[in-house]
Amino acid sequence: MRRLARVLALLLFTQIVIAQEVDDGDRLLNRPADRTYDIILESGYLKVGMYQDFPPYSYEVDGEPMGVDVALGRRIAQEMGVEFKVHWIVPDENLGDDLRNNVWKGHYLAKRRLADVMLRVPYDKTYAYMQDSTGEYINEQVVLFGPYQQETWQIAFDPARLDSVETVAVFQYNRIGVEIDTLPDFYLTSALAGRMREQVRHFKSVEDAFRAMRSGEVSAVMGMRSEIDHELAKAENSKFRAASNGFPGIGKQVWDVGLAIKHTHRQLGYALEAIVDKLVKSGEMNELMAGLNLRYSVPGYYRNFLDEEAIARAEGSR
Amino acid sequence: MRTNKFGIRIAASALAMAVSYGAYAVTDEDIINDHKTPEDIVSYGMGTQGQRYSTLEDLNTRNVRYLQPAWAFSFGSEKMRGQESQPLVKDGVMYVTASYSRIYAVDARTGEEIWQYDARLPDGIMPCCDVVNRGAAIYGDKVIFGTLDAKLVALNKDTGKPVWIKKVADYQAGYAITAAPIIVRGKVITGVSGGEFGIVGKVEAYDANTGDLVWTRPTVEGHMGYVYKDGKKIENGISGGKAGVTWPGEMWKNGGAATWLGGTYDADTDSLFFGTGNPAPWNSHLRPGDNLFSSSRLAIDPDDGSIKWHFQTTPNDGWDYDGVNELISFDYKEKGKTVKAAATADRNGFFYVLNRENGDFIRGFPFVDKITWAKGLDPETGRPIYADGGRPGNPADMDGKKGETVVAQPAFLGGKNWMPMAYSQQTGLFYVPSNEWSMDIWNEPVSYKKGAAFLGAGFTIKPANEDYIGVLRAMDPKTGKEVWRYENTAPLWGGVMATAGGLVFTGTPEGHLKAFDAKTGEELYRFNTGSGVVGTPVTWTMDGEQYVSVASGWGGAVPLWGGEVAKVVKDFNQGGMVWTFKLPKDRLASN
Repeated sequence: MRRLARVLALLLFTQIVIAQEVDDGDRLLNRPADRTYDIILESGYLKVGMYQDFPPYSYEVDGEPMGVDVALGRRIAQEMGVEFKVHWIVPDENLGDDLRNNVWKGHYLAKRRLADVMLRVPYDKTYAYMQDSTGEYINEQVVLFGPYQQETWQIAFDPARLDSVETVAVFQYNRIGVEIDTLPDFYLTSALAGRMREQVRHFKSVEDAFRAMRSGEVSAVMGMRSEIDHELAKAENSKFRAASNGFPGIGKQVWDVGLAIKHTHRQLGYALEAIVDKLVKSGEMNELMAGLNLRYSVPGYYRNFLDEEAIARAEGSR
Repeated sequence: MRTNKFGIRIAASALAMAVSYGAYAVTDEDIINDHKTPEDIVSYGMGTQGQRYSTLEDLNTRNVRYLQPAWAFSFGSEKMRGQESQPLVKDGVMYVTASYSRIYAVDARTGEEIWQYDARLPDGIMPCCDVVNRGAAIYGDKVIFGTLDAKLVALNKDTGKPVWIKKVADYQAGYAITAAPIIVRGKVITGVSGGEFGIVGKVEAYDANTGDLVWTRPTVEGHMGYVYKDGKKIENGISGGKAGVTWPGEMWKNGGAATWLGGTYDADTDSLFFGTGNPAPWNSHLRPGDNLFSSSRLAIDPDDGSIKWHFQTTPNDGWDYDGVNELISFDYKEKGKTVKAAATADRNGFFYVLNRENGDFIRGFPFVDKITWAKGLDPETGRPIYADGGRPGNPADMDGKKGETVVAQPAFLGGKNWMPMAYSQQTGLFYVPSNEWSMDIWNEPVSYKKGAAFLGAGFTIKPANEDYIGVLRAMDPKTGKEVWRYENTAPLWGGVMATAGGLVFTGTPEGHLKAFDAKTGEELYRFNTGSGVVGTPVTWTMDGEQYVSVASGWGGAVPLWGGEVAKVVKDFNQGGMVWTFKLPKDRLASN
């Protein structure tokens, strides 16, 4: 009996591993499958696009997908009654590239590979309706919807080196680590007329920057709040603290994060929107994040029409 | 009597060596003398100096109209995009690379395929800079080329079977190779392509026979170079002496300066000349300083990778003016003395003549009609004199509104891009494939990257004139005078070749291989290859007939950008062919 269970477990595991990446496009025509809502339900699975190696949102540990977006993707698939399959996204230079490569067209080296839905797509009407120099809508091929979280910036510091971080001005004199080619990188190398520039140290990831903080190379790290919370929750970083400073001069202090689908798949969009709306309002989205030691803020979108009590419920503070 | 089996074995293997290496092996001498041996083409540039000048005169201004196709060869598969390759020809075999890191050996007489090798590219690879390949190198019994996943692949030139494959850089970190390697004294020397941020350019030499790394030279100030001897890695000096002299903070650690277009070699001065790309990050306000050795030309010792001299064309670049364009060695006479010079036509719109012995600036002048970012060059140093208001603004100064638009000319694709120019020893002129376009640059009001708010710049590229973008120019390197010009509707994106027959060849995105009178610019020949020509033509002689060959297949960077330029090129179809032409014997006799 026990052996049978093991074999079954192994089978199940194999299935999960195989289930991760799907290339279900048309081989002959070399184009992606047109997976409408009905086809998704019929196929029995949902391909959820998320960034690769991007803790705490989406990453792998021993071949097993982990993180907030993985948890959310699983919940959505469960609500739809289909199997969850991950579609890893290697980030390109900007969001427009990622949407083209993974949501509506496919990358030119992998034309058959598209996600049914992409997560962690900033939900911003200005961005969605942005026009190019000839007046065309740049993002007309996608629908951005279903905001599920609000993200912001955060600094963590080493109390052994800094008493506190009241303002970013301390980084004129103390080293701070950032992930390369991110807004914290640009912000700290240009704000205050570049006076913090000499103190900025660049790393491949926030995780690497924390490693440098442990070895004393930097006194602080700036990243997205969830990234910082995720690192602070690790035992080896227990001596570090989250700062409460502001970020004068940053245009986007907070932004909403939601979903994206191809614009011809609106029926799928409505179904996903209803599911995400329920997860946010019920407080389940907060629980998903809290379970990973991450603070949760309701998207600005909901703040426009939910009353205080409903927001408090969604954020788990009552 | 005892037979000496050992001796027989040696004799047998020596015979085998003679067969595989003997008459058909490519030697260092073959490569160094390539520009003098019109029966083969064994280097990128038709000679390591990169002059792209053939001494052949069978085909000339009088008979070029009789040039006729001999054969055409398809690269096959549904993979197309840009064919920017320059073919090599040795002993009746053509070695030509194609997009997506493919290479073919083709019978140069008949166009029949001998072998084909497709590099197996990793799943999920995202090359930064399109999927082109510009050509191969050839040495001994091997053909060597670079791949999109940043490897060097050495194949047996007769069978196409891999002999060695070496990883030059990590494609996951954003590196790739699209340029042709160059061979000097048995070493394969290559640069790397790279994405916008986080990479550091380098030039590396590998043993052509074994693929072992011989030396590595980073092209950003502050990084240590190394030589490798008997498996040991030995420090060989920091590029630029020390870190942080021309960079703020530790930004030199990720300074860019990719060596993505490869290099040339001059035997007179025993120097490799490699160009470097723009510095990272793209926002120049974050990195005050010259940011060496970005947007520069470097003279490098081929034995150990030491930098002999450098010349920076665009210090503190803020316009994406890569300094990678080929530096071509040439001699000219002035006041009875021979000047050992080298010339380059930069992305930034200026043509530079340098002393190739020490990198001193001799003279510089615009080769495009208009330059807005600089008022001119310092006559002593060649350093640009920046124009007020010509530098794009700092996105970090933004407050959620679309920033002020700065118009810059040339556009980021450059007065001249990767496509190699040619130098005619006959006319003493450079034939420069150039483009007249400008760009608008502004700070984006809203931008996101990897799920996070970001600071982005928007830009669009625009033709400078209504009826043409491309201009093939004959430039006099002594006076800076434009001797003639040919205007083309679409941007020019293919290489140029000059011949002793008084001809200049190039291709157009409209699909034509064209030949011009080198003295007057009169168009003497055109042939429609069926797709845009962005490759580089070559010529050689075989069985007493002169051949011309060019790859055809529209692509490269131009169609990747939208805006007004897209309107000009949107109807061009992709392709993937190599076309070969010859002047029949009877036509040669008749002229």
